[in-house]
Amino acid sequence: MGDTFTTQSVGETERAGRLLARHLQAGDVIALAGDLGAGKTHLVQGVAGGLGVEGAVTSPTFNILLVHAGSLPLYHLDLYRLDDPAQLEDIDFYATLEGDGVSLIEWGDRFPDELPADHLLVEISRLGETARGFRLTPGGPRSAVLAAAWSRSMREGAAR
Amino acid sequence: MRPFVAFDTATDHLAVGVGDLDRPGELLAGVDMPAPRAANTVLLSTVERVLAQAGLSPGDLSAVACGRGPGSFTGVRIGVATAKGLAHGASIPLAGFGTLDAVAWRAWRDGAGEEGPLLGVLGDAMRGEVYPALFNVTASGPERLTADRVAKPGDVAAEWSDSAARLVLAGNALAKHRAAFESAFGSVRVAAERAWAADAQALIDAAWAEEAAAGVSAIAAAADITDAYADAHPGTLLPIYTRLSDAEEAERARTAGGGVAPTPRTGVRGPSSAPSGGGR
Repeated sequence: MGDTFTTQSVGETERAGRLLARHLQAGDVIALAGDLGAGKTHLVQGVAGGLGVEGAVTSPTFNILLVHAGSLPLYHLDLYRLDDPAQLEDIDFYATLEGDGVSLIEWGDRFPDELPADHLLVEISRLGETARGFRLTPGGPRSAVLAAAWSRSMREGAAR
Repeated sequence: MRPFVAFDTATDHLAVGVGDLDRPGELLAGVDMPAPRAANTVLLSTVERVLAQAGLSPGDLSAVACGRGPGSFTGVRIGVATAKGLAHGASIPLAGFGTLDAVAWRAWRDGAGEEGPLLGVLGDAMRGEVYPALFNVTASGPERLTADRVAKPGDVAAEWSDSAARLVLAGNALAKHRAAFESAFGSVRVAAERAWAADAQALIDAAWAEEAAAGVSAIAAAADITDAYADAHPGTLLPIYTRLSDAEEAERARTAGGGVAPTPRTGVRGPSSAPSGGGR
C-alpha cells in the first residue's frame, strides 16, 4: 500500500521536494509525518525552491502558518504546538487548505480527522545518519495522481 | 448628511459601501472585488478610497456597519475587529448585519426574486459544509425565514426539496455544492453567479433592513447620537461564527457557570437547536 522511496542526504530530500513541486496544483494538501529531524522542513524547502519562492523557508513551529509567494501560494503549516483541533479554526486552517495554493503541513498527522479526505500523507522515517525513507499514502483520487507522478519523477531521477 | 461606512469581509469577496443615515437605502459610493485571504491587507485602504470617492474622510463618519458572518472564521474576525476599532476610535455606533442577508439582497436586486417566492442562500462553510438561510422574496426585499447555522449540503437539499419548485439558490457555496442540490431537486434554479456575493449596494440594503437595536435603521432613528451609541456600542457587537472557536466555547462555559446569561445581549445567531453553542 502506497509508494515508497529513499533519499541519502539532505540535498536529495530537498531535491525530492523540488520534484514534488512540479506536480502540485492549487488545493493540494500534503501532510508530513516524522520525528524531529526527519527532514520535513527540508522537503518543504525543496518544494518552495521548486515553486520559485524567494527568501528563507523555516519551520513555522511558533508561527503555526507561514505563507510564501511562489508560482502557487505555499502555505507552510506546523501543528506541533496545537493541542486541540478547535484551535485550527483560529488559524483559518480550513479556508487555507481549500484556498488558492498548496498546503504542506508538518506534524500533519496530529489531527487526522480534520484533514480533507483527499490529502497525501508523507511519512518520513530515519534510515541512517542522513538516509530517509518516504512512504506516500494518498487519501483520494487527486492525491493518488500526485503520489504516482511524484514517485515516477523520483524513479526517473534515480535512473538518470 | 450623516454618512456611514458598511463593509463585509466574511467571504473571499470584499465589499465596501458608504451610505447616509438620512437617506435610507441610498449608496453614496462603493466597491466590491475578489480579495481571497487578503481582507486584512486591503480593507482599511479600500475604506479610505471609497470614502474619498464620496468626498469624505474617516472623521466624517456617523456610524459603522459590518457584516457579522457567517463565513470564513478569519474573514469574519478581520471585519468585526476592524469595525470595532473604527467605531471605538471615533466613538460612533456600530451596526451589524448578516452576511447571508447581504447576499440575499444582492440576489434580490439582480432579479432572483422574480423567478420564485423563495430564495435559498448557501454560504461556503468549508470542510464540506454550508451556511444555509432561507428567505421569502417580497416586492420590498428578502425577508429571512431561518436562523444562521452550519449544515451538510445533502441535509439542506433534503430539507428544501419540498420547496424546490419555488426556490432560487444563490451564494458562494454553489461553486462546490451545486451538485448536491441538483441531485436532490432534479433541477435547480440558480441566481446569476454575479449575485452569489454581496456588492456595496447589498451591504447598504442589508444594513438598513437589520431590525436590531444595533442596526442602521435604529441608529438613524435615535433621538441623539448618545442614545444610538449606547444601544449600538462597538463593544457589544458579536460575530456570527456558528462554529465556535476554542476561546468562545471557554467563555460561554465560564459565563454559564458563573450564573451570567450564557448569551451576551447582542447575541450570536448560532444554531438554534443548540443554544449552548454548537456541536464542538
